[in-house]
Amino acid sequence: MELYKFLPKTNCKKCGKPTCMAFALDLLQGKVKIDDCPPLLEPKYKKNYNTLKELIGSEEGKEKELRIDVETDLCDGCGICVTVCPVNARYCPPTLSGKAPDYPPEKHQLFQVKAGKCELLAIKYCRRIEAQGRERECRVCETYCPRDAIKIDYV
Amino acid sequence: MKGVKKLVNKRVKCTGCSLLCDDIIVRGDGLYIDEVIGACLKGKEKFEQITGKNRILSPLVRDKGELKKVSLDTALERSIEIMKESSKPLLYGFSTVSCQAQLKGIELAKSINGFIDSNSVICQGKVLNTAKEMGLTLATISEVINKTDLLILWGANAAESIPRLLNKILFSRGKFRMTGREIKTLIIIDPVKTASFGVMGVRDLSLNIDPGKDIELIRVLKEECCTPSGFPADGVAGIDQDDLKRLLIQITNAENAVIFIGQGILSSQTSVNVVHELLDLVHMINIKQQKGRMSIMMLGGHYNMAGFDQVALSLFGKNHSLQFFDNNLVETSETIISKLSKEDFDCSIIVGTDPISHLPWKLSKALMSKPLILIDNKKSATFNVADVILPSSLTGIECEGLAYRLDHVPIELQKIVNPPNNIISDEELLSKLISRLNPI
Repeated sequence: MELYKFLPKTNCKKCGKPTCMAFALDLLQGKVKIDDCPPLLEPKYKKNYNTLKELIGSEEGKEKELRIDVETDLCDGCGICVTVCPVNARYCPPTLSGKAPDYPPEKHQLFQVKAGKCELLAIKYCRRIEAQGRERECRVCETYCPRDAIKIDYV
Repeated sequence: MKGVKKLVNKRVKCTGCSLLCDDIIVRGDGLYIDEVIGACLKGKEKFEQITGKNRILSPLVRDKGELKKVSLDTALERSIEIMKESSKPLLYGFSTVSCQAQLKGIELAKSINGFIDSNSVICQGKVLNTAKEMGLTLATISEVINKTDLLILWGANAAESIPRLLNKILFSRGKFRMTGREIKTLIIIDPVKTASFGVMGVRDLSLNIDPGKDIELIRVLKEECCTPSGFPADGVAGIDQDDLKRLLIQITNAENAVIFIGQGILSSQTSVNVVHELLDLVHMINIKQQKGRMSIMMLGGHYNMAGFDQVALSLFGKNHSLQFFDNNLVETSETIISKLSKEDFDCSIIVGTDPISHLPWKLSKALMSKPLILIDNKKSATFNVADVILPSSLTGIECEGLAYRLDHVPIELQKIVNPPNNIISDEELLSKLISRLNPI
């Protein structure tokens, strides 16, 4: 709804979608870009265009860099992040039954517990960077950490 | 080749807590452990204890108030002297040693007409004692991983006491159902908002019960299971009606439910037997529902607490508080607590535990007033008051042994490195004491 506010709301169908609302929904899921809406590029919508770009930028994080912070003071190495991470589950079979992954770590493996503390290994395979659509909004590790030691943000 | 380390990547079992994780990867050269991967903070500390500054490295004897380093023979002789002088010795601990050492401990108690007790008496022993008349449904960890759809943490803060438990039981994906967290519902019943609440999802139920009122909740649930007549409008024990309804629906409809009971239930302050009522509730639900079952898992802290229960039960049919006289078991209703409060003992042998800091001041004082022999591997509050200290090696790291996991599954522990100063294991120490007491 936030995005819809800043669209022209004329339902001109120039973008190929039936309504501006449909366009807003697709915009949210990352299926279309802001530049796909021709009227927005006109000078009278310039302010709206800039606001939208800011909003989308913060939601998609295309311009900012993803960072996952693990606070080692809070972490007690329970390994929940290792087990819940969908990328780990795909590439490290032992994590399916709650076990520690093999060593040396697989190249896709994101988290690893070493010396009682959680470590971030390869951020480039994180779902927030690699996946498309709804999977891109993955926040499993942050949600399920019992100590709130993991923080996802964009800098 | 000199200077080149042979790298070892080995999956070992961890003795940090009663979960006995079998997936810890240890890297080292066979002489020292360099890295521990996969272990939680508790497990890592256990592995670091080998070279920790808290480690007891040589036998010590207290002489005129000061601890002095002596040879093992002298220390053993001194402990034999203490044991021979006493007529009512007390043996306590045995929950952080292997089952073999526990057997030897019982043998020692037999030969000195002693009273032997394990930490289980103030922990999960209550459940096993009650289970003798009620029956008990237990579940194993792999069963929980693969089948369970409802987990109830009752008076237990698993996220802090057994850090990897939630990881294993709640977030793992089972073999028979390919989804994990999605089908598992978690219910936490606790008066305090503990760290375990951090893993709650949308479908989960958190019940902030009033302290000491678990019994009311159990009784209401029992009533409702027998004759559904609706819950009281203003709720029970601080839990409102809607939550009670949801709780009842969850526990009666779950296909495979497990109740994890922690210290909140095991050492509750009420005079009534909460454990008895809880087992009764579980029994009732199991009779009522046909398609599934509900089981119980006790969350003990020490890694081999279940072991002593199993050893003593298999030998004498009693899981703790064994009094021996003339090589026979004597019927007694006393426990370590009653013995200490009455001061009905004249020397104590503590094995692998720290009662001085665990027990209340009055009981610790009683323990301190009599000669104390300590068999342990780390310095503790008990270390500071002991008269004779016999160092032992770390089971599971420096010597082999058998231990029972919290779900009563025996796990064989391994030897990874050699102990420093040629320290011998608990088992050998106890058998040396026995052989010196009864020379052939």
